[in-house]
Amino acid sequence: MNINSNISQELLETIEHYYNGTMDAETLKTFEERLASDAQFEQLVEDVHSLFEGIERQALKEKLDEFHQELEKRNAIVPGDGKVRFLYYKKIAVAAVLVIALGSLWFFTGSANERLYNNHFSPDPGLPTTMGGSENFAFFDAMVDYKQKNYDTAIDKWLVLHKKNPQNDTINYFLGSAYLAKGNGKQAATYLQKTVEQPESTFKSDAHYYLGLLNLKEGNVDEAKKNLQQSHHENAVTVLDKLKD
Amino acid sequence: MKLTSTIDSQTQLVNAIKSNDPTALRTLYTSSFYKVESLVLKNKGSKEHAKDIYQEAFISVWTNIKNDAFVPQNENALQGYLYQIARNKWMDVLRSGHFKKTKSVPMEKAFQDKIEDDIQGQEAIFAEKMKLAMGAFKNLGNPCKELLTKFYFEKQSLRDIADVLQIEENTARNKKYRCMEKLRELVLVQKS
Repeated sequence: MNINSNISQELLETIEHYYNGTMDAETLKTFEERLASDAQFEQLVEDVHSLFEGIERQALKEKLDEFHQELEKRNAIVPGDGKVRFLYYKKIAVAAVLVIALGSLWFFTGSANERLYNNHFSPDPGLPTTMGGSENFAFFDAMVDYKQKNYDTAIDKWLVLHKKNPQNDTINYFLGSAYLAKGNGKQAATYLQKTVEQPESTFKSDAHYYLGLLNLKEGNVDEAKKNLQQSHHENAVTVLDKLKD
Repeated sequence: MKLTSTIDSQTQLVNAIKSNDPTALRTLYTSSFYKVESLVLKNKGSKEHAKDIYQEAFISVWTNIKNDAFVPQNENALQGYLYQIARNKWMDVLRSGHFKKTKSVPMEKAFQDKIEDDIQGQEAIFAEKMKLAMGAFKNLGNPCKELLTKFYFEKQSLRDIADVLQIEENTARNKKYRCMEKLRELVLVQKS
């Protein structure tokens, strides 16, 4: 490689023009003639070309690593390919929590109702946070915190949205879920109650389930049964069955 | 009508990638990663393998776009092409001797064999030079790295670069030259 040989600023820029296709026809002709006749010159041009390509490729590589980190950050808690359905996470989360709960001390302590609560409570896994539009950015930004178990941060962010939109069932539901996950049952109940008051809410069934569990924990068995009967949550029936025993 | 517009949007994406537009690159990168990851995970690979193979494939696609070796035919052409290349690369790795013997072979080794099989002669010499340049650029000090990235990768004009750095255009031009000289020195050091 002739990299030792001097390359003037002018030559560097000429070579840039050559590869960018910004050379005028006459210069191009002279340049190509020289390339064809002067092997040493050709070598030099190739060397400089390899620098251009190397810079671009390395810069791209570093960019890709950046993108990858972004992906990982966004999906830190969400496993799989992002297409997996909501329910799927829920099953995994519930299964995991059941296993943990089985081994936990709580299983052996507290009242029967509290045991039921602790056996069946797992925080709502949240909604998949995709790299979607910016419209709901604030909401999903908080969702990322929620999934990372930064419940206080998530609550702060959602409370801002809640002020603007106090009737929104999604915000109410996840505020409730976040308080519940934190162990603040009283606050959780307030927001979950607001959710079930919206007849059309998609979260109504799940909100009833969690309200049922909360009531159970407080010892309000009749209330709990009412809530659970209104829920289609997959565990609602299981818990109801156990209450009958 | 719909078909034309989707191909148009692919053409736009291709052109944006040619100019290394960061949004376009990010869009393409995000588009197919999980699909490739699940393919690799289902076929004896790890997450780390998935990332490596995907980035290799991405760089191939990018190179082909730059060399006009890829022309989009339908609305998902580019994403499909990227997936296909990643898939083929992963199959090659699976078939390679190294991977069969031990699963824990460093990915790079398997890749290396593959790359060396593929390229010969002139191209191999150029690829070797480019690799040296990449290594040198990786270790280049930051002010230079930033300036050269803006000029050669982001394709910003000297005037725009000068504006951002709050210097004269001519100063930027001289700086760029000196940075290229530094890069050449680094390549030389690597070689020896």
